[in-house]
Formats: sequence, C-alpha cells, structure tokens
Amino acid sequence: MSKPIILYSHKGGPNPWKVAIILEELGLPYETKFVEFQDMKEGPLIDVNPNGRVPAIEDPNTGVAMFESGAIVEYLVETYDKSNNLTYTSSPEKYLLKSWLHFQMSGQGPYFGQKAWFELYHPEKNLKSAIDRYANEIRRVLGVVDAHLKKQGTEYLVGDKCTYADLAWVPWDMALQFLLGEGAKKVEEELPTYKAWHDRLMARPAVQKIVEERTKANSQ
Amino acid sequence: MSTSDEPTITLYTTQTPNGIKISITLEELGLPYKVHKIDLKTDVQKEPWFLALNPNGRIPTLSDTFTDGSPIALFESGAIMQYLVARYDSDHKISYPAHTREFHETNCWLFFQNAGVGPMQGQANHFLRYAPEKIEYGVQRYTNETRRLYGVLDSHLEKTNRPYLVGEKCTIADIACWGWVAAAGWAGVEIEEFPTLKAWEERMAQRPGVEKGRHVPERHGIKDLLKDKAKMERIANESREWVQKGMKEDAERMEREKQREREK
Ligand SMILES: N[C@@H](CCC(=O)N[C@@H](CS)C(=O)NCC(=O)O)C(=O)O
Ligand SMILES: N[C@@H](CCC(=O)N[C@@H](CS)C(=O)NCC(=O)O)C(=O)O
Repeated sequence: MSKPIILYSHKGGPNPWKVAIILEELGLPYETKFVEFQDMKEGPLIDVNPNGRVPAIEDPNTGVAMFESGAIVEYLVETYDKSNNLTYTSSPEKYLLKSWLHFQMSGQGPYFGQKAWFELYHPEKNLKSAIDRYANEIRRVLGVVDAHLKKQGTEYLVGDKCTYADLAWVPWDMALQFLLGEGAKKVEEELPTYKAWHDRLMARPAVQKIVEERTKANSQ
Repeated sequence: MSTSDEPTITLYTTQTPNGIKISITLEELGLPYKVHKIDLKTDVQKEPWFLALNPNGRIPTLSDTFTDGSPIALFESGAIMQYLVARYDSDHKISYPAHTREFHETNCWLFFQNAGVGPMQGQANHFLRYAPEKIEYGVQRYTNETRRLYGVLDSHLEKTNRPYLVGEKCTIADIACWGWVAAAGWAGVEIEEFPTLKAWEERMAQRPGVEKGRHVPERHGIKDLLKDKAKMERIANESREWVQKGMKEDAERMEREKQREREK
C-alpha cells in the first residue's frame, strides 16, 4: 500500500481510537480527520457513514469506505495483516476472535457508552437506577473477561498472543476511572486477572503511542 | 462421535430477536441442526455447563464439529453468522465472497445492528417494558435513538433503491436486523413512520427461510401480539416480573462473588 488511509475521528470518543490502535499496530500510514459532533450528520462523513458517527475510514488504495469500528478492524486485519500479527487464520481461533470482537462491540461499547452519557450529560437528573444499571453492567462485562482469562490461564483472550480482539477493548477500558470514579479502583481490585491483562495491553508501544497522540490532540 | 446423519450443529436458543437470527441463517442455508431450548426464566444460561460454551451467559450460542472432529462453541449472534457463512455458504446464497466490497459492506451493517440497533432497542424495551420504576427520560432517550437508527436504515434502503441492505441479495446483515425491526412496536416505535423499511421487513418475511427460522424454538408470536394491545399489556407485565427477578438475582450473585474475592 502507498496512500494513507483516512480515519474520521473525534478527540474524545473512544471508538475511533480503537481503529487508530490497529492502524498503529499494523504500521499502516493514515491521516486523521477530526470531526466535531455537530458536523457528523453532513458531508464528508455522512457520505462514508450513513449513521453519521465516527470512526469511519476511506482507503484510497482499495477504494473501500467503511463504518462501525468492529467492521473496520476486521477489514484492516483481513486486508493488511498478511503475516497474522494480530490474528489467527486457523480454526477455531479465527472464529473465537469474532465472538470476542462482537462481544466488545455489543457488550462493552454500548453499555460503557450509556454510563458515559448519564455521567456527562445528566448528573443533575435523578436517574440513580439508570446510572446503577450501567455501572453494574460494566462490572458484569469485565467480570466475564476476568473469569475467562482466569479459567484459560492465558495472557490473552484467544490463543497465546495479543490479537485485535484484545486491543478492541482498550479505549473503553481506559475510560474506567472516568466512568466509575472511586468505583474503578474497586472493580480493578476485584478483577485482578482483568487488570493484569489491561496493563499488559497498555504497555504495548503502539498503544502507548496512541495514548500520547490522544493527549496531544486534546491539549491543542 | 456423531453418526453421519446426525447434525453436527447444535443451536442453544430462546424465542428472541437475537436467537432467531441464527435459526433463520441456518434455514436460509438449508443446514441440519439440533435445537436446545434455553429457559432464560430459570437462568439456565448462567449454569456452569452453559458458561463453558458461552462465557457471557447469553443466547444464542452454537456448537459445531470441524471435519477433523474437533469441537467449537461460539457466542455472539454476529460472530455465529459470520462463522456459518464462512464455513457453509460457498454458493454465496446469503453472503458475498471474502475481500469483495460487498463482503465488507455487509459487515458494516452487521455491526451496525449488533452494536447499535440491538443494544438501543433493547434499552428502549427495558425502560418501556421492564424497568422497576418508570423513568420517562430513559424511555424517551432510547425510543428516540432506536427511531434514529431505523431512519438510517430507511433512508439507506430508499437511497440505494435496492431490495436489501447490500444490493440485490439478502445477507446476514438483513437477517440480523429483521427480528428487531419486526418487533419495533414492543419498543414503542411505529414502523409506519419508515415506509421503505416497512416494505423491506415485509419482503424479508416472504422468504421461506425467514418464515421457517423465525419459529424456533417455538412460535414467533411478536407480530401477532403487536396487533392485540390488551394481550400485549398482560404479557408486558409478566415479562416485567421475571426480568426484575433476574436483575435482583444478578445483583445478589455479584455481591456473593465480591464477598468470595474479599475472603481470599
Ligand atoms: N458502534 C459504533 C459507535 C460509534 C460511536 O458512537 N461513535 C461516537 C464517538 S465514540 C460518535 O460518533 N458520536 C457522535 C454522536 O453520537 O452524534 C462504532 O463502534 O463504530
Ligand atoms: N450481542 C448479543 C446479545 C445476546 C443477548 O443479549 N441475548 C439475550 C436474549 S435476546 C439473553 O440471552 N439474555 C439472558 C440474560 O441476559 O441472562 C448477541 O447478539 O448474541
């Protein structure tokens, strides 16, 4: 490949940074275009993503445009990870990766996102039962990861190497402190296997690089 | 070892929009499969044998055997559908060949369903039908978000002017959305607001595979129920009771786990 992939992103939202991590891990050239929330329902983003959200990508090398972070991650890996650095092509690993990616997409993203919504925009309303609902769900979902890693006795979700299915969890897990406040520490203490896994992922150079870039983007 | 005429696939399921995605996919592909009905009301999905198949404790879950005899158990409806077409749809009846533009586009809409329509419509159901206290804000937020997502589907179908989400062919992306769209009224969404999506829903319902697969593990009653308001209220009350019981038990289980962790 020669031309940089265009990544539509947002400085704050976790989902686009998931794609940035994968691009970085695969060493692919890309160019980030930040879009403000109020500009998401118009061109050029809406032409790429009819849902008017980020992330979305355009790949000038293949002419493919994609939306939904999970689908983008699969596209990047299937198209560019020729030496299977972040994936498996053997069965059953190849398919188990998909179970964990879909779980991240449907189980972590939306529910962590709902907690963020109530936390950010509606602390004033008396919505305690709604807030508790999503806090409990965060604890439950991370509990599933913790129990799975503990039971398998492996360092990563599938097989014995770090894959896209692990990395997909990073941006929302990074927001745990913001989402749960004091409660974050408690969850991490209760789920030590999850915590060790998260730290292991955070220590990766590509993840570190994205953390730095995000901090830089947000301080501008 | 299974004998040659016994299906290798077992589907663990319940009559829900996520469950019927898989039975419809299997019917569309004409694959033989065994059905194991999971009683969510008695928490079978949280029993150890089931968690060994699906660590998240939900349906649908699918187990199968590879040609070399080794077993596989998969969870998450989207992943199961991707597996089934990758392994069994070599004629591309409901999928496109890997690495094609249409293949990637199918996955965009598949994730749009799994990460968008499913969770948001599920929250609308929760606040409208099951929540212990009526939180008007929650009902509004999630019914509106579901309507917004339906609007995205509706205008996409209208703009592309093709029968299905990705072109002329019904794919796993359409199948993933169908059970949810067919149950719109349960989440307080009027399908009449979205004429192109409504026409798509009816087109899907005409398919023999959809008709057969939707009645697994038992009759798909939601479309009839939505026409009978009084019965709908009664069923909603019954569901509310067991969902709340489940929520209470989940909270208690979590407390017990925390307690055990502290005692270590
Ligand atoms: N399931 C989608 C979620 C995308 C999403 O919600 N992105 C947020 C930023 S993290 C967004 O664009 N929000 C804009 C809005 O809600 O208007 C994905 O993973 O790509
Ligand atoms: N994202 C998952 C969602 C699965 C899901 O939420 N299943 C529900 C029924 S539709 C369930 O098993 N609930 C039981 C429980 O939460 O205990 C998928 O698409 O497979």
